[in-house]
Amino acid sequence: MAQQMFVLFEHASGYGLFKVREFEEVGTFLPEVEASSSDVSKFKQVVKLVGYRAFTSAASSLENINAISEGLITDELSAFLETNLPKVGKKAGVILGVTDPKLGAAINEKLTIPVTHIGVIPEIVRGIRTHLTHFVKGLTNSSMKQTELGLGHSYSRGKVKFNVNRVDNMII
Amino acid sequence: GRGGFRGGSKVSVEPHRHEGVFIARGKEDVLATLNMVPGESVYGEKKISVEEGSEKIEYRVWNPFRSKLAAAIVGGIGNIYMPPGSKVLYLGAANGTTVSHVSDILGSEGVVYAVEFSLRSGRDLVNMAKKRMNIVPIVEDARHPHKYRMICGMVDTIFADVAQPDQARIVAINAQHFLKVGGHYIISIKANCIDSTAPAEAVFAGEIKKLQADQLKPQEQLTLEPYERDHAVVVGTYRPAKKNKQ
Repeated sequence: MAQQMFVLFEHASGYGLFKVREFEEVGTFLPEVEASSSDVSKFKQVVKLVGYRAFTSAASSLENINAISEGLITDELSAFLETNLPKVGKKAGVILGVTDPKLGAAINEKLTIPVTHIGVIPEIVRGIRTHLTHFVKGLTNSSMKQTELGLGHSYSRGKVKFNVNRVDNMII
Repeated sequence: GRGGFRGGSKVSVEPHRHEGVFIARGKEDVLATLNMVPGESVYGEKKISVEEGSEKIEYRVWNPFRSKLAAAIVGGIGNIYMPPGSKVLYLGAANGTTVSHVSDILGSEGVVYAVEFSLRSGRDLVNMAKKRMNIVPIVEDARHPHKYRMICGMVDTIFADVAQPDQARIVAINAQHFLKVGGHYIISIKANCIDSTAPAEAVFAGEIKKLQADQLKPQEQLTLEPYERDHAVVVGTYRPAKKNKQ
């Protein structure tokens, strides 16, 4: 039974789903992934992009990061996963790698997909973060920076403004 | 006050050994960075204008008593690993005073991801970052890097000034998420914050052990005397290349 492993990557610009090359043992695969993380062409042999869904507006990216940072699944994320993951009709060995175990549990509950966040997953996510522009068409270093900048501001402003426990916020 | 740098004609500015940092030579020598937003002071620091030909260039004075990074530079740190254009993850950004100088150093091509958990400081940080387009403000707990994984990219260097007992672990988990292989870290360690009963030297040695255990190989340690008491700065490499590799 060949198990298909996918990895979810969340970024300010959108969601990405990657398929991991089949491998036998984590013990031998992990060093390989580590070594490939500095070399795009090698890393492209480890994972391939299955789907990418860009956020359509600043409001939608903010809504998604607010949920993701708390380990909650959004409609947008669940729709993205449902369209891009192979149908799990017979539970045919699909496993989804995630960064945050809490989000993983939420995905598992909603979509009944087995999830993991250990083993090679953190290393693969590092590789994706390093080489994202090489996988997603139209995404450049400067556009990535712009989305991070915009979302960093709106996310942080939200934290500062809408803090329920605020004690030190002055009313202006 | 001391009058500072008024009478600009007597001041000359020259590049420091660390790219992006400058030394202004007047009555006394001071550190300075090239002001990315000319005309603006961030926290009331002094500005120095220098005329070069017909152009006026503005620098901001960087006080080592107010910034541990500046203190480390004055103290002769070997390398700050923040050349212009690089990416830095700054943990414990506070109000953003040092972050603003890092932003000057990195220039418009670089990025500094500035993490601060306190809402009060975070507000100042967000406001300051509005004027400096290379600062990504992140008001979040540095203990949970996964919460800001969507807005933080891979970085060349992590600078940490979090003053928490578990700071070595905080740096390690952030490095696992965001620090590239062979990237560097600079961590400021306040002995009191780790263990107020043990001698400072023992605390530093203990922290270095913890860093080593997480593939954060230390290269250099220096104290921040006379600017800070019982403070050390440790610089090192993340997942350094194996020596016996051909």
